[in-house]
Amino acid sequence: MIQTLLYGLTIGAILYFFAIGLSITFGTMQIINFAHAMVYALGVYFLITFMPLVRDFFPLATLLAIVAVVPVAYLMERFVIRRLYGESLDYAMIATYALLLIGTDVIKYVWGNTPQPVTDPIGISFQLAGIDVPVYRAVIVLMAVLVFAGLNLFFKKSIVGKIVVAALEDTEGVRCLGLNVDKYFSFVFILGSALAVLGGVLYAPISTAEPYMGHDILLIAFAVVIVGGMGNLTGTFVSAFLLGMVLAITGRYYSQAADTMVFAVMAAVLIFRRSDA
Amino acid sequence: MLNVNGINAGYGRAMVLHDVSLKLKEGETVFIVGRNGAGKTTLLRTICGLMKPSQGTITYQDENILGLAPEKLAQKGFRFVAQDKKVFSDLTVRGNIELAAYAAGESLSKAIEKVTSIYPDIQRFMDSKAGGLSGGQREILLIGRALVGDPRLFLIDEPTEGLAAIVIEDIFRILSRLKEDNVSALIVEQNLSVVSRLADRVFIMKEGKIIREISEKSKMANSTELESYL
Amino acid sequence: MASSTPDIPIPRIAATKRTTIYRDMVLIAAGFLVLIPLLAMHRVTDFMIFCIFVMSFDLLYGYMGRLSFGQMLYLGTGVYVSTLFSLHFNPNPILSLMAGVAGGAIVAGILGLIVVGLEGASFALTNLAFNQVGFFLVGSAFQRVTHGEDGISAGVEPWGFLDFANESVAFGFVLLCLLFTFFMLRILTTSPFGILIRSIKENESRVKFLGYNTFFYKWLTFVLAGAVAALAGTLYTLYIGFVSPVFIHPLNNVEVIFAALIGGAGNLFGALIGGVLFMAMKDSLSSYIPQWEWILGILLLVIVFWLRGGVTGLIKTLYLKARMAKGEAKEVKKG
Repeated sequence: MIQTLLYGLTIGAILYFFAIGLSITFGTMQIINFAHAMVYALGVYFLITFMPLVRDFFPLATLLAIVAVVPVAYLMERFVIRRLYGESLDYAMIATYALLLIGTDVIKYVWGNTPQPVTDPIGISFQLAGIDVPVYRAVIVLMAVLVFAGLNLFFKKSIVGKIVVAALEDTEGVRCLGLNVDKYFSFVFILGSALAVLGGVLYAPISTAEPYMGHDILLIAFAVVIVGGMGNLTGTFVSAFLLGMVLAITGRYYSQAADTMVFAVMAAVLIFRRSDA
Repeated sequence: MLNVNGINAGYGRAMVLHDVSLKLKEGETVFIVGRNGAGKTTLLRTICGLMKPSQGTITYQDENILGLAPEKLAQKGFRFVAQDKKVFSDLTVRGNIELAAYAAGESLSKAIEKVTSIYPDIQRFMDSKAGGLSGGQREILLIGRALVGDPRLFLIDEPTEGLAAIVIEDIFRILSRLKEDNVSALIVEQNLSVVSRLADRVFIMKEGKIIREISEKSKMANSTELESYL
Repeated sequence: MASSTPDIPIPRIAATKRTTIYRDMVLIAAGFLVLIPLLAMHRVTDFMIFCIFVMSFDLLYGYMGRLSFGQMLYLGTGVYVSTLFSLHFNPNPILSLMAGVAGGAIVAGILGLIVVGLEGASFALTNLAFNQVGFFLVGSAFQRVTHGEDGISAGVEPWGFLDFANESVAFGFVLLCLLFTFFMLRILTTSPFGILIRSIKENESRVKFLGYNTFFYKWLTFVLAGAVAALAGTLYTLYIGFVSPVFIHPLNNVEVIFAALIGGAGNLFGALIGGVLFMAMKDSLSSYIPQWEWILGILLLVIVFWLRGGVTGLIKTLYLKARMAKGEAKEVKKG
C-alpha cells in the first residue's frame, strides 16, 4: 500500500509539472493548448539526444532539453496562438491541435516510432519505515514542491507575476493601465512549457519515451486543470496530487479503470460545482 | 482635444451606437447622461479602445486614434474606469497601485502619494487584498490608480452607481478635486445631483444617439432642471 | 440557394420554400450518384455515412457555436448499441437502427445536462473526457460483451429487400438516410428554433434576457446532434457488419472537425462537401504516404488562418466578387 501511495505522489508530481502550464494558459488565454503534449514529448526526445553529448550527465542534459524547447514554444505562441486567441478561441484550440499533429509526426520522423528507454540516473533506494523508496521518486516529489513554492513566490512577489495574476482576473483592466498583456502571456506560456518538459524529463527514466507519450498524459492533465480550477495555481497543485493518488490506487486494484476513475472524479466535481452556481 | 465623429458601434449585428459625435475640450468635465441601455458604456469603451466601431472617426489632439489598442491609449494618458468597479482582487491594494506605477513608469512611492492624497484612509488597507474593499473604496482605488503617471483624459463609467449617499459625497469631493486640477473628464453618470454640481457640459443619450447637448449653466443648475431634459 | 433579393453575407433565414429543399435534395442525390463511377459505389456509401456524422458535428459547432472534441462518443454509441441489439435482441436492421439512434439520444440527453452549460475550452474538453470514458468502457470494461479491441460482428439479418450485403441496397438506404437527415436539419435550422440556436451562438445573454430558457434549447440541440451521430454509427453497423473501438476512439474526432471546417461550418452543404473532401483526401493520401497526419495539421492551420469559411465560404466569396464585377443579380446554381 505504501508503494502505491508513493507511486501516487510521483504521478501527482509529474501531473503537476505538466498541468500547471496548461492551467495558466487556460486562465490567461482561455484556450486548451493541445500542443503542450507535443512540447512535453519533444523535451524528452531532446534529452535522449543530448545525454550522450554530455557524457550522461543527467542534470545538464535536462537543462539543455529545456533550453532547446523554449524557442519551439516561443515560435508556436508568437506566430500561431497569439494571432488567434484574441479573436477566436475555437480556432486557437484547433490550431494547437494542428500543431500537435505536425509535431508528433516530426518526432516520429526524426526519432522513429519505437519506444526508447531512458536510464534511471540515480539507481539507488533508501529505507523508509522498512520499505524501499527509490531516491529518484522522492526527488521528483521534492522538486514538485519546490516548483510550487517557487511559482508562489514568483506570482506573489515579482512584478511580472503580479501582472499575470491581475490579468488572470481582469485582462481589460491590465490593458487599460497601459500594459501589453500579450507579452506576459507569452512569458508564462513558455514557462509552462518549460515546466512540462521538466516533468517529462523527470518521468522518462521510470517510463519510456514514445511519440504519443504526451497524448496520454494530456487528457489526465485536463482533468487536473478542471478539478483544480483553471488558472488556480494552488488548486492545480492539490488536484494534481489528488488525481495522482486516484490513478495509483485505482491502478492497484483495477488497472484499466484508472483513467476512467479520474474522469469520474472530474465529472463529479463538474456536477457539484454547477449545482451551487 | 477629443473629437468623436459619426461613431457606429455594436455587438455582432446588433448596433448599439448610431452616428454618435461629440467634442471635448481640454480641462472640461463633461457628463453623459441617459437611461440604461442608451449606449453610454459602449461609447466610453469605444473611445478607450476596448471596442472597435464599424464606422466613424476618433481623433485626440488631432491624431487619429481609431483602432488603437487600449494599452497604447493608456500610454497617451487615457484613463478608463469601468462600471463594474473591478479591481485586481487577488493583489493587495499596494499591489494594485504597483501595477499602475510600473505601467506608467512612475516610482511606487510617488504613486502611493498620489492615491493617498485623494484618499488618506487607504493607508490602512495598503496590505490587504483589494478584493476585500467595499464598492466605494474600490471606486476610489480605481480613480487613484488612474491618477498614477501622467493622466490626460479620464473616462469614468458610472462612478456613483450602487453606492450609499455618504460615499457618493466622497466620490463627489474627489471628482471636484480633479476638476480643480483642470483634468479633462468624460463621465457617465446617472446621479443628476452630482452632474449638476460638476458639469461644464452635459450630453443626453437615448437609444444609441446623442439627442441633446446642454451647455447653459442655467439648465444644469440642479437635478430637477436637468431631469426635465431627459 | 436561390434568392430574389441579392444580399451580402447575412444568412437567409426567412421563409424557405419546400421546393427549395426538395431541389437541394435532388442536387445532393445527383451529386453522390455522379461520384459512383469516379470512386466505386462502396466508397461513396462510406463517404455518405461520414457526411451524416459531419452534419451532426456541424449542428453543434456551425450552428450552435460549440466546439466539441468528443462527438465520436455518440457515433460509437450508435455503433455498439445497434450491434449489441442485433446480437442479443433482434436482428432486424430497422429495429437495430432505431435502437442505436435511441441509445445515442439517451446518452446525449444525460451527458448533455452536464456539458451544455459549459463553454469554450471547458465544453470542448469535457466532451473529450466523456469520449475517453466511452472508449474505455467499450474497449475494456465491457469487454466480455463487446470483445474489446478485437471487435465484434453485428447480428443484423436481411429483412425483406433490405439486405445490406447488396451494394445497391446499401447505397440506396444510406442515401435515403442522408437525404432525410438533410431535410430534417434544413427545416430545423431555418425554423424559429434554428434562428434561436444561431442567436444563442451570437449572443446568448441577449437571448436569455428575452426570456428564453437557453439551457433547454442548447440541450435539445445537443441531443439531436447525438442522435444524428448515432444514426451514422448504426449505418456503419448495418453496412460494414463488423465493428471495433476505432468507431469510438477520441483521436478520430479531428477527422470530423477537419471535414466540417474544410467544407465550411454552419452550412449543411458545407458539411457534405467537407465530408466528401476529407474522405477522398484520406483515401488518396494514405495510399501514398504512411504518415500523413502532419499534412492534416498543416491544412488545418491553413484553414484557420486563411480559409475560415472552408470551400463553401470560398465559393461564396468568389461568387460575390464575380457578381459585384458584373453588377447584376445572378441565380446561384451551386451552394
